[in-house]
Amino acid sequence: MSSSPTETQSVEIVMPQMGVSVAEGTIVEWSKRPGDWVERDETVCLVTTDKIDVEIPSPAAGRLSKILVEPGDTVDVGTPLAELDASARPGEAHPEEHHEEPEAAQATEPARQGETPPAPSSGDGETDRSGFHSPVVRRMADEHGIDLSQVQGTGIGGRIRKRDLVALIESGGETERPDQAEPAQAERPLHIESPYRPETPAPAPAETEAPAATPAPAGEGNGAPPTEEILPGERRESMTPMRRRIAEHMLESRRTSAHCTTIVEVDLHQVVAARREQKEGMARRGVPLTYLAFVASATVAELNGHPILNASIDGDEIVYHDDVNLGIAVALESGLIVPVIRHAQRLSLEGLASEIARLAQRARSGELQPDDVVGGTFTITNPGQFGAVLATPIINQPQVAILDLEAIVKRPVVIDDESEAIAVRPMTNLCMSWDHRALDGAEAARFLAELKARLEGWER
Amino acid sequence: MAEMTYLQAISDGLREEMRRDEAVFCLGEDIGAFGGAFKVTDGFIEEFGADRVLDTPLAENMIIGASIGAAIEGMKPVAEMQFADFIACGFDQLVNVAGKLHYRQGVSVPMVVRLPSGGGFSGGPFHSQNPEAWFIQAPGLKVVAPATAEDAKGLLISAIRDPNPVCFLEHKGLYRHVKGEVPEGDHAVPLGEARVAREGGELSVIAYGSSVPLALQAAEELDEDIEVVDLRTLNPLDAESILASVEKTGKVLIAHEATRSCGVGAEVASLVSERAFEWLDAPIRRLTTPDVPIPFSPPLEQAVLPQLDDMKEACRELLAY
Repeated sequence: MSSSPTETQSVEIVMPQMGVSVAEGTIVEWSKRPGDWVERDETVCLVTTDKIDVEIPSPAAGRLSKILVEPGDTVDVGTPLAELDASARPGEAHPEEHHEEPEAAQATEPARQGETPPAPSSGDGETDRSGFHSPVVRRMADEHGIDLSQVQGTGIGGRIRKRDLVALIESGGETERPDQAEPAQAERPLHIESPYRPETPAPAPAETEAPAATPAPAGEGNGAPPTEEILPGERRESMTPMRRRIAEHMLESRRTSAHCTTIVEVDLHQVVAARREQKEGMARRGVPLTYLAFVASATVAELNGHPILNASIDGDEIVYHDDVNLGIAVALESGLIVPVIRHAQRLSLEGLASEIARLAQRARSGELQPDDVVGGTFTITNPGQFGAVLATPIINQPQVAILDLEAIVKRPVVIDDESEAIAVRPMTNLCMSWDHRALDGAEAARFLAELKARLEGWER
Repeated sequence: MAEMTYLQAISDGLREEMRRDEAVFCLGEDIGAFGGAFKVTDGFIEEFGADRVLDTPLAENMIIGASIGAAIEGMKPVAEMQFADFIACGFDQLVNVAGKLHYRQGVSVPMVVRLPSGGGFSGGPFHSQNPEAWFIQAPGLKVVAPATAEDAKGLLISAIRDPNPVCFLEHKGLYRHVKGEVPEGDHAVPLGEARVAREGGELSVIAYGSSVPLALQAAEELDEDIEVVDLRTLNPLDAESILASVEKTGKVLIAHEATRSCGVGAEVASLVSERAFEWLDAPIRRLTTPDVPIPFSPPLEQAVLPQLDDMKEACRELLAY
């Protein structure tokens, strides 16, 4: 307790510029609490931008003194997120600590009634831990008949520490509060018959304004009814930030675009032959040649002649893009992400194959940067490896269309109209969802027909 | 009482037992004419002669093997490893022969292996290790690690008198930096008993060897109600003293310079959670060297070995919990 707040050297942790196109970020969670020691470059918090989660490193070593932006809040690039005391030394007490003297803080109730409940020490970014009781705290509460919901903790996050109870017992606090002790005691007989620990009273009406009303975290085992009803055989998990973003984007797209899906059937036997020829050579150069790369290459070429499909809608205007920035949907365990291949029209088949592999790898290892996932003008999705043959994808806003490559399946098909000869061919369906606000069915069908022709007559 | 360094106290204890008991003799590399790499046996060959202060070849398995043979025949050998690290060369003799003879054949092996251990002087990966956990894993060996000059003498005397093989870990960093009043003459400190080095009520720091002075300094500088328990003997552990302290404070930091995994800290943590769970007010924490070899480079070595600041930070966090 010998800390004297000498001059502190305060360093701000700010929302960094995470890419040219990123203007703001949302705090997902803090991995450090005020008072925690932080090394330089150690992660202090997780920030989410439109699609990417970024760990924010500390600019200096020191003690985190203040958190300025709470989880869930969105702020502009450059906004201070937290303050760091860079003049602090590890092991030192810091000024915020010990500000409540144990004796004064323990027997809260009569003095503090009607004031802010103890739980929201989360105001400075701390997690509320007032509902967690350590083994020794539970034991002492049991032995001395202390109602823990009536004790204000002085530990981290408002946790009740052993010293809080020692101080309370020594001051005779638990017996000196007849007005408070009465209702708590009155509740006790109810619980002696219950399978739960007797130390926790039921939420009595008399106590509704008391801090006991703060819901305890799950797993606390105090027998209080859970806030949401969970039926047997159910399990609830809150959505991950990524899941929530996907949900928002999908609903938003459904609300925004006039979705329509057109499907063509494509015979890929030329593509299969071309792939067989070129696969080994590319593999030697470290490039995996996939069917997706062929479809991407053909799509990019066709978009050149169909600018309405390489466009976006901005209010009442249609914006035509000179470059094809091709989004490739990548499925991750945690969700879906769409990295973008820039200037895709400049890339050969091998260049596209290489970029697809590189971006997918970065997506799976979590190395994508915010700039990697913005600015797409057309998107291809390829869930066909599981054998599905048809889908109606949702457009990636503000684009105008999304193309879906499904499973390639061998089928008997009529290959010559005149002779009506039948052969076994590798067939697939290309399903394109397009925005009826920007174009009509004939244009979509024409694009798909030309794409089909390009793939069926693939020039090796 | 006389003021001695930790090193002088070891020397004093060994000399005392050699004077008292003809069966006690010492052996090791350069311990005779040269007086030992750290000068623990300086002047011994002059006083006791070359028959009781044996310079051996650089062959640790031979040193341990010869000690076992002599012990079986009724002698009380005190073998010195020049550095504790080198015990690896005598490991088979120690764990498979010395440690098991009593269980296999009812034969007592009263021997002591002195192990200058620990880092902090840029000795690098082969001259800085704290190998105590190896021996705790091998049933049949007692393991002792004093932190003060008085205990260094008193525990060595008890180790020599003990009928079992005893690994005696002397931290090189304490040799000349730790001084204290040491009783003269016959002074035995019993094995298997911990010592409360500092009384406190809010946090127990369970430590041994070089971590004891570190914990005491941290407690003083933080000026908090911290109890420091010096284990002194690592096998057998003094469970009662550990549990008594934990039941008093409710918070436990276990500190040692040895690496983390499966170390003494893990054993103490397990003991506490098994037998004092209902007294705990915070997670049990450990402050140790991470699981890496000790680097030569002084800044790197400083980064891996527990420092005063690390000790203070760990205490502070537990106190605030």
